[in-house]
Amino acid sequence: GRGGARGGAKVVVETFSRHPGVFVARGGKEDMLLTKNLTPGESVYGEKRISIENTAPTNGDGSAVATKTEYRVWNPFRSKLAAGILGGLENIYIKPGVKVLYLGAASGTSVSHVADIVGPTGTVFAVEFSHRSGRDLINMATHRTNVIPIIEDARHPLRYRMLVSMVDVIFADVAQPDQARIVGLNAHMYLKEKGGVLISIKANCIDSTAAPEEVFAREVHKMREEKIKPKEQLTLEPFERDHCIVSAQYIRVPEVKESVSKKATAKDP
Amino acid sequence: MAAIDFLLHESSVGYAIFKVVHQADTIGNRLREVQQASQDLAKFGKMIKLVSFAPFQGAAQALENANDISEGILSDYLRSLLEMNLPKPSKKATILGVADKNLAGSIKTTFPSIDCETGDTSEVVQDLLRGIRLHAPKLLKQLQEGDVERAQLGLGHAYSRAKVKFSVQKNDNHII
Repeated sequence: GRGGARGGAKVVVETFSRHPGVFVARGGKEDMLLTKNLTPGESVYGEKRISIENTAPTNGDGSAVATKTEYRVWNPFRSKLAAGILGGLENIYIKPGVKVLYLGAASGTSVSHVADIVGPTGTVFAVEFSHRSGRDLINMATHRTNVIPIIEDARHPLRYRMLVSMVDVIFADVAQPDQARIVGLNAHMYLKEKGGVLISIKANCIDSTAAPEEVFAREVHKMREEKIKPKEQLTLEPFERDHCIVSAQYIRVPEVKESVSKKATAKDP
Repeated sequence: MAAIDFLLHESSVGYAIFKVVHQADTIGNRLREVQQASQDLAKFGKMIKLVSFAPFQGAAQALENANDISEGILSDYLRSLLEMNLPKPSKKATILGVADKNLAGSIKTTFPSIDCETGDTSEVVQDLLRGIRLHAPKLLKQLQEGDVERAQLGLGHAYSRAKVKFSVQKNDNHII
């Protein structure tokens, strides 16, 4: 019964309306989340691929050209970002052409999908401290030239300052008690003004004695202190237990209130 | 807090020293002015001026320097760059803005006449360095489009492979 995922005539691929660069396959047994494979013909971690024939009248003489697009199935049980998208996140900030600083890249399975989304004009700076997963990450990155592997401790963002540019988005899945501080340190150095922040929070990793809701509330408060303004918070049920993902925006330079500045100028003469 | 005279930017393509040419007089206004200007290249470009850019001569030199920078060590290449481009010792100390306090310590030991401010001690330095990082490909005029990214990719692999002692020839044997 795996025929459904093999694609072909039955399955239709659509763009995920809210998130450019993310796709959905409809018509199979179940809808599936997809990203467009940056390296067609290759799977990264044994995930399924779907090839779709698209006929586009793009030839100079107007004749139809049959082209194939390959997508990779993105499993929400293996990727917290995928779970967040299926859970209904409004804004993931990650889209074609952007630069992403990915903290806690692990073996690079989720990173490979983020690399698919940002495409050849985007960049993913993938930071992972563990050497064991780091090897897999480096291996994956050799096939995807928009991924820059950084084997270093995300607690010390200064150590990798020669390898990173200013980025549009920080994604963090570091599962450390001080993760809000870690994200803050990285944002202050590398995140553009008004850039996006996505943090996956595992309640157990922060404080295993408190109720998850309480832990999440405390983390959100800590983010605010780092100039990271939470916009939405979402549980990752049913894909992960006692996990949530927070989508936020980095506001380093607070906007000057219109009325205040007017008053100030009025006083001048 | 005194005004910042110079800034050091370390990147995958090389080291760059910038001179701060315009700065608000009052300390209170300084940070706001820098924060607002740093987002706009036209405004930011009037605030700082490139003094010298020292590109790395090859991948090996870049990796060596990346390792030194991550440890806060002043490499010979960086030392000679500072020596050539910062003012000679005089009564008034030169204030250099750098990102890392460990590197600041190494610089102070070698050049007693230079006082360093870091991102930790001065928010103005942090925002100036953020502005340089944001606009670096345009501020370093010798660079072509995509140079920084290409260098980051090569350096990222070299740096990370050295960390995990990764070899392309060898395959890992997984023991369950």
